[in-house]
Amino acid sequence: VRDPRIARLADVVVGYSLELGDGDVVVIQSPALAEPLVEELFAASLRAGALPYVRASVEGTDLAYLQNAGEEQLRYLAPHMMEEIEVVDARISVHAEWNTRALSNVDARRMALRSEASRPLMDRFMERSASEELRWAVTAYPCQAFAQDADMSLQAYEDFVFRSGWLHLEDPVAAWRDFAGKLTQLAERLGEVRELRVLAEDTDLTVGVGGRRWVPAKGDRNFPDGEVFTAPVETETRGHVRFSYPAIRGGREVEDVQLRFDGGRVVASEARSGADYLREMLALDDGASILGEFAVGTNYAVERFTKQILFDEKIGGTFHMAVGAGYPETGSTNRSALHWDMVCDLRGGGEIQADGEVIYRDGRFLPEYAPDLAPPDA
Amino acid sequence: MPDPRVRTLAELLCAYSLDVQPGDLVRVDGPAHAQPLFVELTRAITVAGGHPWLRPQLPGVSRILLERGSDAQLGRTTRLDEISGEAPDKVLTVWSPENTRALSQVPGERMARYNGARRHLTERFFERMAAGDVAWCGTAYPSHGAAQDAGMSLAEWEDFVYGAGHLEDADPLEHWRAQSARQAALAERLSRASALRIVAEGTDLTVEVGGRRWMNADGRQNFPDGEVYTSPQHERTSGHISFAFPSSYQGHDVEGVQLWFEDGRVVREAATKGADFLTRMLDTDEGARHLGEVAFGMNDQIQHATRDTLFDEKIGGTCHVAVGMAFPEAGGSNTSAIHWDLVCDLRRGGEVFADGERIFRDGRFL
Repeated sequence: VRDPRIARLADVVVGYSLELGDGDVVVIQSPALAEPLVEELFAASLRAGALPYVRASVEGTDLAYLQNAGEEQLRYLAPHMMEEIEVVDARISVHAEWNTRALSNVDARRMALRSEASRPLMDRFMERSASEELRWAVTAYPCQAFAQDADMSLQAYEDFVFRSGWLHLEDPVAAWRDFAGKLTQLAERLGEVRELRVLAEDTDLTVGVGGRRWVPAKGDRNFPDGEVFTAPVETETRGHVRFSYPAIRGGREVEDVQLRFDGGRVVASEARSGADYLREMLALDDGASILGEFAVGTNYAVERFTKQILFDEKIGGTFHMAVGAGYPETGSTNRSALHWDMVCDLRGGGEIQADGEVIYRDGRFLPEYAPDLAPPDA
Repeated sequence: MPDPRVRTLAELLCAYSLDVQPGDLVRVDGPAHAQPLFVELTRAITVAGGHPWLRPQLPGVSRILLERGSDAQLGRTTRLDEISGEAPDKVLTVWSPENTRALSQVPGERMARYNGARRHLTERFFERMAAGDVAWCGTAYPSHGAAQDAGMSLAEWEDFVYGAGHLEDADPLEHWRAQSARQAALAERLSRASALRIVAEGTDLTVEVGGRRWMNADGRQNFPDGEVYTSPQHERTSGHISFAFPSSYQGHDVEGVQLWFEDGRVVREAATKGADFLTRMLDTDEGARHLGEVAFGMNDQIQHATRDTLFDEKIGGTCHVAVGMAFPEAGGSNTSAIHWDLVCDLRRGGEVFADGERIFRDGRFL
């Protein structure tokens, strides 16, 4: 018997996150191993009157391509991909993998060439998203590889994933709607701030956010969700930060990342492992050493770091930032083929100040600043 | 360690069937469980300088659409469907059913609505093929569903499928080039005939093929392959034919089929199993009672019927005819919504006469 939580997840993504309706062209992207979720998403999309398409992937083809493609091939972007993106009203990406380290031994430069080639696609995608012509949602399907990275059994990891989406609640959509209201209030309030300063162990970082828009991530584009984010003013970031959790990208793990900023750019980087890869990525292009995102995680049902950014950046009581591309709807002007999120825990003594006033301490916004964001039973 | 024959198959499909060139955008469709072939194709296409565009399918999804989609959803295509047909330079379809009866509960009218809505896509794709803008090949990848229909284990079926593709030959590419040349010579000989008379136990059939083009099916559009075929003058077939092998069409089994022709038309039909279905199919439309194809199987590695037309119609020493849709490229003009191949065994006592001259006996061209 199929886990009934899979169908509930699909219903929430289709009905709440994307609000799919009659005639919407929706593309469901997923590895074949998430077939049960893809089937439920497909069925839920049909029920909503949408026109669903599945774009599945199978294990091993990415590696076979990256190992054998020449430079010209890696730089190639098929024109039909640019054309397809114009047609799509909504896109669901299901995250799941057979092995999160399958590409660990691929030359980073080859990976970089390929992401560079797809940059016009990413830019156009973000443009259509910003102008609200295209809706999208990212979700995850519990799989052995993610469970292993999280140090869990598959069964325990399934509970973690579904709990993170509050799918254990009687009425998850009602809880998400309530949360969305509170988070929107918080985002509006943060919109009045000119400068944020984050203080934690080995961290004293100032980002300019004046004039930028804060987005309440309330479950529409990521599911599970729970963060408020913006893009810092490109030239104003200064200070230093030490991330409590490893930074993960393309099957690589960079531990104990420390970054120093001046005039908006990373001017020094350090890491206990993977420092070369970190430097290489920061030098990927002009925008790769500038922040594209600054955010606070507000999903208090996500309590532990599991090495999947979709969940990690939502951990209630953390903040994260991304070097590289920013979301245009926040006011970001930074462009890059990179968007690399890194997460820092604030639950043990962290503090955030807004224009000199403390608004957040030990992993929670102060009650006088924002309503309690925890879901009903967390 | 993956089966090395999968790599050989992928390389042959790229180098021989599709002739992948640097810069070619190659779309590959097939069920996701054909993953080993997807990996090897990715490798072979990439090494040849092409750009793989992989479209693994989750079979359950099509079933859900066909069973639960609204009329509007079944009957509508979008620009995405058009792009899929217009963008690629080469297309490979991988046939590998997990369950050949997975769609047997879908009502015929829903199936028809779905297919009808996609007809313009198919037509547009055939146009691109005819103009030489896109090359297409369909290939078999062993699966439990097909093995089960053939009455074999998967391991036996793999041996059969890869054997039929000559993938264990020292040089499979060389085999297919030689096979192609042999068939080209035969097609040339047959194109000089105006009437073919096929004689075997329970069979004495005359088809008129004067002025028609004989096509060389040499592994480029189907793999495995091995037949020469044309579309006969569909008003002129006469006589009687018996089909020794069981056939499966649209998920229905029929056995012991016999057809009687007068002036090109099936005037009487019989079957030991599935007779009603046979009659229903022949009554689909007027063209369904006329021949759209006559052909000779030329693959000597295929000896037994498998209920899979891709293989059965290529059995060396057999001929097959199809009722229904003809091939315009062969000069055929019969039209129908069906094209159903039925195979007649000529290996024991079968003979073929071209304008009175015996050209074939006991499964071999003389």
